[in-house]
Amino acid sequence: MNLAARRTTELGLLVLGTMFVVGAYLLATLPEDSKIPTTVGPFLGIIVGLPLAAHVAVRRLAPQADGMLLPLASLLNGLGYVFVVRLDEAKARPAGLAGLQSVWMILGVGAFIATLVSVRDARKLERYRYTAGLAGIVLLLLPLMPVIGSTKNGSRIWVELGPVNFQPGEFAKLALAVFFAGYLVEKRELLAINRAFGPISLPDPKHLGPVLIAWAVALVVMVLERDLGSSLLFFTLFLVLLWVATERASYLAVGVLLFAGGAFLAFNIFSHVQERVDTWLDPWGKEKGYQVVQAAFAFADGGLTGTGLNLGVPLNIPVVESDFIFAAIGEELGLLGATGVLVGFLLMIGAGLRTAQQTDNDYERLLATGLTTLLGFQAFIIMGGVVRLLPLTGVTLPFISYGGSSLLANWVLLALLLRISHDAAERQTERMASAQLTEVG
Amino acid sequence: MRKQIRNLGVFLVLCYTALFLQVNRLTILEAEQLQDKPENTRAVLRDFSSPRGDIVTADDVVIATSVPSDDRYELLRTYPEGPLFAHVTGYFAFELGATGVERTYNDYLTGDAIDFSLDRLGDLFVDRDIVGDVILSLRADVQRVARDALGEREGSVVALDPRTGEILALWSYPSYDPNALATHDFAAAEDTASLLNADPEKPLLARSYRENFFPGSTFKVVTATAGIERGGVTPDSPSYPVETAYQPPSGSSVPNFGGSSCGGTLFEILQRSCNSSFARMGVEQIGGDTLRQVAEGFGFNQDVPIDLPQPQRSTFPADVDGTPFSQNPGIVAQLSIGQNDVRATPLQMALVAAAVANDGRIMTPHVMREVRDDQGDTVETYDPEVWATPMSPGTAQILREAMISVVEDGTASRLDDGLEGFVVGGKTGTAQLGTDPPSSHAWIIGFAGPEGETPHVAVAVIVEGQPGASEQTGGQVAAPIAAAVMRQVLAPEGEG
Repeated sequence: MNLAARRTTELGLLVLGTMFVVGAYLLATLPEDSKIPTTVGPFLGIIVGLPLAAHVAVRRLAPQADGMLLPLASLLNGLGYVFVVRLDEAKARPAGLAGLQSVWMILGVGAFIATLVSVRDARKLERYRYTAGLAGIVLLLLPLMPVIGSTKNGSRIWVELGPVNFQPGEFAKLALAVFFAGYLVEKRELLAINRAFGPISLPDPKHLGPVLIAWAVALVVMVLERDLGSSLLFFTLFLVLLWVATERASYLAVGVLLFAGGAFLAFNIFSHVQERVDTWLDPWGKEKGYQVVQAAFAFADGGLTGTGLNLGVPLNIPVVESDFIFAAIGEELGLLGATGVLVGFLLMIGAGLRTAQQTDNDYERLLATGLTTLLGFQAFIIMGGVVRLLPLTGVTLPFISYGGSSLLANWVLLALLLRISHDAAERQTERMASAQLTEVG
Repeated sequence: MRKQIRNLGVFLVLCYTALFLQVNRLTILEAEQLQDKPENTRAVLRDFSSPRGDIVTADDVVIATSVPSDDRYELLRTYPEGPLFAHVTGYFAFELGATGVERTYNDYLTGDAIDFSLDRLGDLFVDRDIVGDVILSLRADVQRVARDALGEREGSVVALDPRTGEILALWSYPSYDPNALATHDFAAAEDTASLLNADPEKPLLARSYRENFFPGSTFKVVTATAGIERGGVTPDSPSYPVETAYQPPSGSSVPNFGGSSCGGTLFEILQRSCNSSFARMGVEQIGGDTLRQVAEGFGFNQDVPIDLPQPQRSTFPADVDGTPFSQNPGIVAQLSIGQNDVRATPLQMALVAAAVANDGRIMTPHVMREVRDDQGDTVETYDPEVWATPMSPGTAQILREAMISVVEDGTASRLDDGLEGFVVGGKTGTAQLGTDPPSSHAWIIGFAGPEGETPHVAVAVIVEGQPGASEQTGGQVAAPIAAAVMRQVLAPEGEG
């Protein structure tokens, strides 16, 4: 592929996406009396300036990277921003989320650029796999610490350090992706050895240790932090990478069975898990089902094309700006808008997996697969929870939901994917160039 | 690894396809069912800035109306009478949704349910919104008397026309000011709502039809119905022994109030509100299951089809502690005098009195009389219909006379204060709550009307948690309130 074309495509898509976001932003925020509020200028600057800054950074730092990922992320992030602003300003007491979210976006794009600057070669991350693994586990379990750990909406997934609140789980998943990819590249051949048990061939029991450890940590997160979402995401990440690395579907089977068993036990022992499942199956008239019921009403009001921005009543849904933002999009942009979001995530998944296929390095391949899995599954399980396809798990919708931890982590994730994409393409060009040289020579 | 990554991609595509299908289901396929769900308050929110009809009492007092507001919502819903009709109109608020008539008759108030008639086709070309005014059967004058008579005591007053089911007054104290919730200062509305919700006296709750209480001796009218209809009791027999307490075959004994002795035939025991005799009637003549069936004939254990949201059920148990009534005469004895696990809303007890007054038929209770469009033309009227027939006209005749005798010679002697020239019947009740210090709900149910006609009004009054507990409590505390309300209903127009 013509490499300059990749950046041109990216710029073109960015401009299109930004025009959409600017239009939506103006529609959502301009008051009826046509007096333009003073905040419009700075916020428009952010909406237009941030994607451009990110684009320039990619041009300089990863010029051969995939051209779809950044425009898609910017579009989803911009759309999310419009909704966060619109939802907050319609509240009886706006919490100033518009300003906060724009700060998070600036920090997010900053982290994106910083990651591109500091990680010049994704393969070097392999060295830090055990450090990353330890950091991941610590971050995952940090909310359980006394004093700093804090419980919100029934889940103990927050850490409070002075004035700063954050969800360490969002960063833990990145660290764990770095760790799993490195660990599995090292052990994949050993782990791939299967033993025949009669007609079935299963992984050697002595190599099941890591699976069991991952399973145990997932259960701890589920039970002690009451965080079904992170637990599911974390275990899925591990299982998918184990399967991809060893090419042994039997791991997948064992893992799914373990998770099902653990979930079944948890269902029978812990009332909050039972409550979640009950609410999922029949939310009507239950206090805990209020959110999903209101979300369903929102979608029903949305219909095919939505009520239009600012014309719905999504504030009926508690914490709509965070976990339930997909319902607000469904209400005001309808089936078409919601489908747009789904397609956006699917295209990002496609670009991520294509990156994984293109690289010639196993570590990069696993890391890209892991990062894409995180993004794709996290979006899937929260949207699935909102539309009642799955039990509700409190995770954010990447790039769209309000929240600093989530935005920062996902912008870093995106930078890593772009870094791998660039490196893979660059090495491929070099190979082709040297092949041509050989032919000529 | 490439194959696995491809499969992963396929799997994720399947996941997202499932999401897409589910979003289709919510937005298109099941959208209509979802919008029709009763807990869906979004229609209210959509209607918030649209023109909305008035709610008006039968005597032409506007109790809910929309006035222009100079904010982006254009119209502000106001309730000129404040707390007086709060439990009837409910409120129409942005974040809290709508309750009461604002909710049940929303489609008329917004005009959605009003069909275009032929002569109004021209309106199609005029930019004018057609809304409906809901005219209630409640009378502001009666409602005010109910409020003033109850005063600042927790309790409820229900007055209705037994011939049609039209509710004339529906008052509970404490009430609240719906204006504070309908305000466009949503933060203030939210604060008010949380204050009201936190108030232990529950001012938001219309106790008159959304809360049930031990009915005490007013329930003896139900027991007497069962005795006459199903137990062979007549005005002349049996004559119950004069005793201070009734000892059922098993279980604890049922004493009379204050250790007094009483007994005799139906009229005598109703006049004295004789616990021992009614307990004996329940055990020996009726039986628990039959008593439950008769109570259900009055509407117990059923949803009252009133045109207000979320009515509470009145309840009569199927058994107590899992033991069948046939093996549990002690419980049956208590249930027969309205104790143990019987619970009734004030509305339900008014309907019991109405059944006796109206030849044994209970008309469906309702607050809407008619809907008029903005030209003043009636577009909808409420047609009276029978909801339940708990007793025969003959039984009703006997009980009507019995209840009249309770006013003339029994515990409800204050019920006809100022009602000279009218026929007045009633039954008192005192539902004991505790003994340290003694307190009780004071009840009265009754009816009144001109001689020779079906009574024009039936009432139920409960004054909650009154100090002391004697059979006189209901007659002394609740009866004067009921009498005042019935006086106002029966007063010639323009008086009072």
